Amino acid sequence: MVQYNFKKMTVVPCGKDFIDIILSRTQRQTPTVVHKGYAINRLRQFYMRKVKYTQTNFHEKLSTIIDEFPRLDDIHPFYGDLLHVLYNKDHYKLALGQINTARNLVSKIAKDYVKLLKYGDSLYRCKSLKVAALGRMCTVIKRIGPSLAYLEQIRQHMARLPSIDPNTRTILICGYPNVGKSSFINKITRADVDVQPYAFTTKSLFVGHTDYKYLRYQVIDTPGILDRPFEDRNIIEMCSITALAHLRAAVLFFLDISGSCGYSIAQQAALFHSIKSLFMNKPLIIVCNKTDLQPLEGISEEDMKLVTEMKAEAMKTVIGQGGEATNDDGVLLTMSTLTEEGVISVKNAACERLLNQRVELKMKSKKINDCLNRFHVAMPKPRDQKERPPCIPHAVLEAKAKQAAEKKKRTTEKDLENENGGAGVYSASLKKNYILANDEWKEDIMPEILDGHNVFDFVDPDILNRLEELDREEGYTQAEETDDFEMDGMELTPEEQKALAEIRQKKSLLIQQHRIKKSTAESRPTVPRKFDKDREFTSKRMGRQLSALGIDPAMAINRARSRSVSRRGRKRERSLDKGDTDGAGVVDMDVDTPKKKLHVMSRPHSRSRSRPPTDVVPGEGFKDSSQKSKALDKARKSVKNRNKNARRGEADRVIPNLKPKHLFSGKRSNGKTQRR
Amino acid sequence: MPQGDYIELHRKRYGYRPDHFERKRKKEARLVHKRSEIAQKALGIKGKMFAKKRYAEKALMKKTLAMHEESSTRHKVDDDVHEGAVPTYLLDRDNTTRAKTLSNSIKQKRKERAGRWEVPLPKVRPVAEDEMFKVLRTGKRKTKQWKRMITKATFVGPGFTRKPPKYERFIRPSGLRFTKAHVTHPELKCTFNLEIIGVKKNPNGQMYTSLGVLTKGTIIEVNVSELGLVTPNGKVVWGKYAQVTNNPENDGCVNAVLLV
Repeated sequence: MVQYNFKKMTVVPCGKDFIDIILSRTQRQTPTVVHKGYAINRLRQFYMRKVKYTQTNFHEKLSTIIDEFPRLDDIHPFYGDLLHVLYNKDHYKLALGQINTARNLVSKIAKDYVKLLKYGDSLYRCKSLKVAALGRMCTVIKRIGPSLAYLEQIRQHMARLPSIDPNTRTILICGYPNVGKSSFINKITRADVDVQPYAFTTKSLFVGHTDYKYLRYQVIDTPGILDRPFEDRNIIEMCSITALAHLRAAVLFFLDISGSCGYSIAQQAALFHSIKSLFMNKPLIIVCNKTDLQPLEGISEEDMKLVTEMKAEAMKTVIGQGGEATNDDGVLLTMSTLTEEGVISVKNAACERLLNQRVELKMKSKKINDCLNRFHVAMPKPRDQKERPPCIPHAVLEAKAKQAAEKKKRTTEKDLENENGGAGVYSASLKKNYILANDEWKEDIMPEILDGHNVFDFVDPDILNRLEELDREEGYTQAEETDDFEMDGMELTPEEQKALAEIRQKKSLLIQQHRIKKSTAESRPTVPRKFDKDREFTSKRMGRQLSALGIDPAMAINRARSRSVSRRGRKRERSLDKGDTDGAGVVDMDVDTPKKKLHVMSRPHSRSRSRPPTDVVPGEGFKDSSQKSKALDKARKSVKNRNKNARRGEADRVIPNLKPKHLFSGKRSNGKTQRR
Repeated sequence: MPQGDYIELHRKRYGYRPDHFERKRKKEARLVHKRSEIAQKALGIKGKMFAKKRYAEKALMKKTLAMHEESSTRHKVDDDVHEGAVPTYLLDRDNTTRAKTLSNSIKQKRKERAGRWEVPLPKVRPVAEDEMFKVLRTGKRKTKQWKRMITKATFVGPGFTRKPPKYERFIRPSGLRFTKAHVTHPELKCTFNLEIIGVKKNPNGQMYTSLGVLTKGTIIEVNVSELGLVTPNGKVVWGKYAQVTNNPENDGCVNAVLLV
């Protein structure tokens, strides 16, 4: 079965482009280098190959064009006629004929010149012969340029023709312009035909597909037909006439009973009678459209008479098919595409009539007997007259009814939303289904951030249990303490008890601290006391603790201060270990040694921690401050981390050579520059 | 499936893209640069073809520009000096012009020397014998070299039969025989495909004339009955002379110009 899809035709190039394509192909695909000194046979062969290659290509391309364009006599008469109406058969054939002659001419030229090339005795002669041959072939193609352009236009138009299968179930819609044919097809199929208030909006055939009883039907929308003699019809009307004439389809004749299309019922009836010969052997249905503007009962007497006349004609087709004479429902139908009433029934009626007709025809044909003989539908014979309807138990019916009722009872959130104003107005309360201990808490606002912390990080559902546990622990310790207040059977006085409590508290504190230290000691190295960076072990603290014990701390503090690191450099001082006589005050010291620039320690204790880092302290080994600062710098830089990110560093700086001389010199200006 | 004028329908319903006109305008503006890039970068045969096309376009453009630019303006007119007009201080002198006057007799003599016919190609390149003939070795030991094959285009009449192969000295291969010529009428400037009746004269020699060799400059007689020429007496002219204007062996066809 030929698929009438004209979209697959290859593009027909215009004359000039055609020549360019073929010649450049010859230049690319055949060897290009030949020298004067080659053997004469080789030269001849070289040029003969080019001539032959060009001819083959021309032949091939022209043959594809000729083969792909359909032959008007070989295709279905509907398409043959349609193409004749659109493009004029004679011009079309002439154009294709010209292409054919061009093809033959090109072959002849190639043959002649190949014969001549055999006598070529020099490179120049062979070359001129080849040039002459190709030139003549190209002239031939240049001459058929207009035909090629014409064929290209036809091809473009053909590609946009609807692919109508002439043999399948088809419904054809015809009538005056503006009666509502395109609106109807838009309603029953997915074809999106343009609907406009002016006449001849539809200028060509449009096809849509619809289903009925599990079968696919083609619905063809035609341009409107005016009531004119046959010779005066223009191309657009001829398209619909062609479709009517050649397609075996159910015909829907549209009638606009309101007259809003601009033509009266009389005119439409006249049209009907003038084309009724085309409705031979086709199931015909007269459709009265636009009943929303004017119901069928309300039209005038004469119009009613015309309509009944048309109906009578349509009945003839029914009778002619051997249908029941009394069934006239399926002949005259009313509908309105605007309000969509009656549309489906029209479609169903048309499809039904068409199907019946086709089935009948098939049954009458001889081929069907081969199939009929092969299958047999068996119907069981009834045993007795008893009626046996399907049996459904009562419980199942009840359950079904209940389910149906339940489905309706529950109000969904969507219903609530619709009741209360719609999507933008109503916002559902997400908290109404919360499960809380106290229902009044549902609407409470829950804080999220407190004191810079996330509240939810600290929320623990078992917190009350934990609290209880803790309490219990504490309760135990307290119980222990109260038990222990009785030491060795003796009761203690309240002061003693107090003191005991204090001692015990302190002890427990110490134990806790020790435990903390012990727990962290595994993960962190412990800093020995002399390096305390938190400055915990100050002399003030010692003073506080001593005074808490009841001892005067002054002497101890002095002693500590005399041993402090900041005073290590003082060699010439009298040591203060032996006595506490001169706590304050310094014995005169030789501070003016020019070589050792020692910092004047006038106020050692208050400035023990306020020395600038570049200060050279005796005992460090530096000559002076600048050397120390240099040493510090070095130390700082040496600890810098290595850049292991494989990123370019300072040491990786490269100065590229963007214009190497060897690539920019030479005679060539264009072309590849990898070498010159 | 898209049917009918679906592109126009889509345009009617949905209009153009918001940036459609902008893009179109910019694309067209960019075309200029793209063209110039191609013109600069195309190499080889493509480049040559493009350059040729471009040159033709430019010439046309220049012409139209000049046409548009010409307007009716007034220019200063230089008074043409008449021939023989003389300034006042020379008025009384006789002006003599020198010119070469040829006497009629000299003209006649020159014409006779040139030949009776005034032909479009008075002089042609002489064709050497080894260019014209190819030596064929024959005989049992291929030692005899008296046969010659003509390598140029020839004309043999319709009733031509070869001499017996043993005796024929000049072989005219059938692939190089031409019967028709493309004859141009010099005044009408149109070309006809006319049959050759015979070879009248070959400028390279009388031998070639008798052999019927067609080279450049050969005078041939062609059948002009399809032109429908009539003598003043009323007789139909059916044969006229024409001169061959190309090298038929290089072009594969005989081009001639009619001698009127």
